[in-house]
Amino acid sequence: MNSTNYDSCPECDLLLRSAHPKIGEKAHCPRCGFLLSRPRKQSVERTFALSIAGFILFFPANLLPMVGITILGNANTGILMSGVIALFNEGMVAVAIVVFLASILFPLVHISLSLLISGHLYFNRPNRYLVGWMRWMHHLDEWVMLEVYMLGIIVACVKLMAIAPLKFGWGLYAFIALIIITTMLTSGLDTELFWQRIEQLGKENNLAH
Amino acid sequence: MHTKANALAQGFIRCHDCGCLVKTVDHPSACPRCDSQLHPRRPHSLQRTTAFLFSSFFLYIPANIFPIMTVNQFGAGDPHTIAGGIIELIDSGMIPIGLLVLVASILVPSSKLIGITLLLLCAHFRWQINARRWTVMYRVIAFVGRWSMLDIFMISILVDLVNSGSVQIIAGPAATAFAAVVILTMFAAENFDPRLLWDNQQNL
Ligand SMILES: [Zn+2]
Ligand SMILES: [Zn+2]
Repeated sequence: MNSTNYDSCPECDLLLRSAHPKIGEKAHCPRCGFLLSRPRKQSVERTFALSIAGFILFFPANLLPMVGITILGNANTGILMSGVIALFNEGMVAVAIVVFLASILFPLVHISLSLLISGHLYFNRPNRYLVGWMRWMHHLDEWVMLEVYMLGIIVACVKLMAIAPLKFGWGLYAFIALIIITTMLTSGLDTELFWQRIEQLGKENNLAH
Repeated sequence: MHTKANALAQGFIRCHDCGCLVKTVDHPSACPRCDSQLHPRRPHSLQRTTAFLFSSFFLYIPANIFPIMTVNQFGAGDPHTIAGGIIELIDSGMIPIGLLVLVASILVPSSKLIGITLLLLCAHFRWQINARRWTVMYRVIAFVGRWSMLDIFMISILVDLVNSGSVQIIAGPAATAFAAVVILTMFAAENFDPRLLWDNQQNL
């Protein structure tokens, strides 16, 4: 029994013959329905391109004003970081840290890792940290909460529109574009392919020395 | 105990991090592909899930009875609980948004707590259930958990924007408790191993 011909379902542990669905097709676990694999066209190239775009967009999304409001003559504009600082100043340190991690730091680290990994794979450059980066990215996935933050912005705006007029800035548009790109990034990343390419690069590197 | 179709029963361990299948006959301790620790099932899955679940149950009480934010208008404070904020949204005619917050801050966390409790009981007492249906329930719980952070993000925006001399919004103690509940239930779901449900089924 060669273990590379076999695969097991991560949610029900059914032993399966490795499924190699064609691009655009999906392989589901016959027992529990888990989505086993969904190969994407040119996953490395696409991930590399989207990571560059996402990395660039991260800065306007964080630095330009997102929403402006005028209450009784007092104008106020908000960016991602100013919400964190406002919570911190009120003494809500734990909440401020959670918001900072889920909406600023983890998205930045996640997109940087995907840029590093896909860049190394795209240029066929081995690196002993690739495995570690891949594992980190896998663990961070769930804690990047940009889409949830977007929903928070919508609810906050609906509440605020009742008291004062709002103005939307370029930061908000950059943020929406960033969400679209990170969503395309995570759905287009073929994890199994990435792991195989990393393993292959490592082997080639060992042979060369 | 293990059903024959399971990879573990046939001598394979699946790596948690990279999904690589490793033969158990060689007694490997680390994954040959990604070097992470190999475990046949998530280590101490039921104990860890129980610990995270109990802490979230405990914090769920202050999260719902204390105010999550206070609107200070011309010196007079108006505290809101999670439920109070939703009632206010619905009263002022913003029904779709009110329902959205109702789902994200009340229905999702409470059904998550109940769902994880049921999954734990099922795995612990080896109930004979429709394992496929329960695995789907686990999958839904693990997927929706993060959306409850909606309320916390909304508060960070409100606190920041509504901060003029006469009108001010201040986050309340329930915000910390609620954020902790969301994170702890996410940890609980992450530590639960749905394969335990399948290991206990005798009629597969
Ligand atoms: Zn399965
Ligand atoms: Zn591995």
